[in-house]
Amino acid sequence: MSELYRLEQIRYRYANERRLALDIDTLSIDAGHLYSLHGANGSGKSTLLNCLALLLPPQSGALYFGQRRVQRGWFSLPRLRRQITLVHQSPYMFDGRVSDNLRMALRLKGVCSNQAQQAIDDALDNVGLKDFHQRNARELSGGEQKRVALARALALKPKVLLLDEPTANMDKYSVERLEQLIYTLPEQGITVIIASHDLAQAQRLNSRIIEIQHGQIIADGDIPIKEHCYA
Amino acid sequence: MDFIVESLRTAFALILSFDGEVFNTVGTSLTISSVAIVIATLISVPIGIVIALNQFTGKTFCLTILNTLMALPTVVVGLVVYGFLSRQGPLGQFGLLFTPGAMIIGQVILATPIVTNYTLAAVVGSDPRILPTAQTLGAGPLTGIMVLIKEIRFGIMAALIAGFGRIVAEVGVAMMLGGNIRGYTRTMTTAIALETSKGEFAFGLALGLILLGVALAINIFLNFLQQRSR
Repeated sequence: MSELYRLEQIRYRYANERRLALDIDTLSIDAGHLYSLHGANGSGKSTLLNCLALLLPPQSGALYFGQRRVQRGWFSLPRLRRQITLVHQSPYMFDGRVSDNLRMALRLKGVCSNQAQQAIDDALDNVGLKDFHQRNARELSGGEQKRVALARALALKPKVLLLDEPTANMDKYSVERLEQLIYTLPEQGITVIIASHDLAQAQRLNSRIIEIQHGQIIADGDIPIKEHCYA
Repeated sequence: MDFIVESLRTAFALILSFDGEVFNTVGTSLTISSVAIVIATLISVPIGIVIALNQFTGKTFCLTILNTLMALPTVVVGLVVYGFLSRQGPLGQFGLLFTPGAMIIGQVILATPIVTNYTLAAVVGSDPRILPTAQTLGAGPLTGIMVLIKEIRFGIMAALIAGFGRIVAEVGVAMMLGGNIRGYTRTMTTAIALETSKGEFAFGLALGLILLGVALAINIFLNFLQQRSR
């Protein structure tokens, strides 16, 4: 089992905040698994996701990605980031149609336009938005925008997919559909890390649960469950 | 009142007859101001973005200076650039004074703070999720900025229009650095000033109407672009 991330003595404090948003001594994340970051609001889940997405450089400590220490650099960071995609809790939709959003992402990753159409069709089909190509992305509901953002991320075929509260504000049917999709991603070699305060979801997905509180990891491992839903 | 009505009639007649003198002046104005605004944009947009996205010591002072420069008097710009370009000045050897080149330099100086400030405001007022989203989708530093520019393009267009509006309607720089040479550096505004002083009120009015028409056309074009993108 190969180690994908290793965090050592990671500290992060937001400007004008007294307490640390992240205060992690050690954390190891293996490739090809599904993880749930579980904790209350303000516990540091999103900060940790941003750190893992290499968007937020830790103020101290060492972050290893794929056995290599992550260094701050104009050109090295974007290269590493291309393997990681973060879907924010409230994702930003680019101006234009749903398909334009996916096309923009593929263009940023350097996927040629011939391959783009198939990737867009597949990704939208995966999240149940097959007929949404021509819809204006900004006019969709919050739940639909989340699914577009997930499709946009999946179209890139990332090595790591980070999801911040992916099913918040979604109806029961959509939640079930997305959980089923997320459950299958590790089989495709994608490491999935979900930030959620929904412990039941983490258990349904049979994920390895990382408990976070006040920026500190207080439990790291499987929480025993009787049976997960999507097996 | 008859004087105004008669002058308006003559002005419209001059416009509708495509009077060579009028349209030559309009062409000179638009060409010089268009070149100036393109150069000012190439300078100002990157500066505006860099200032907006970065925190640095002296940022507040920098913003104050930029705001002050927005109200830069055109005659002061004309005077300073005149000093540099005049025969005794440090750039006198290039022989730029009383050429369209000198007017472009002056107009670039006038437009740069305006376009910079508007761009800065557009970036500051933009959605803070744009750059992180672009970055997490694989954008590098430059492609991320390109995505940002695309998303705030209407703010940047407003910057361009504000800058263009300022320089196409100014007199100080055009008069002092262009010299109001007929068929060469005579612009709409310098022609209006000259013709009115000569008593050719209708001619000045015709140019004034065209100047207003240009402003209207630019705004209609911007609205058209905004509608089309929706």
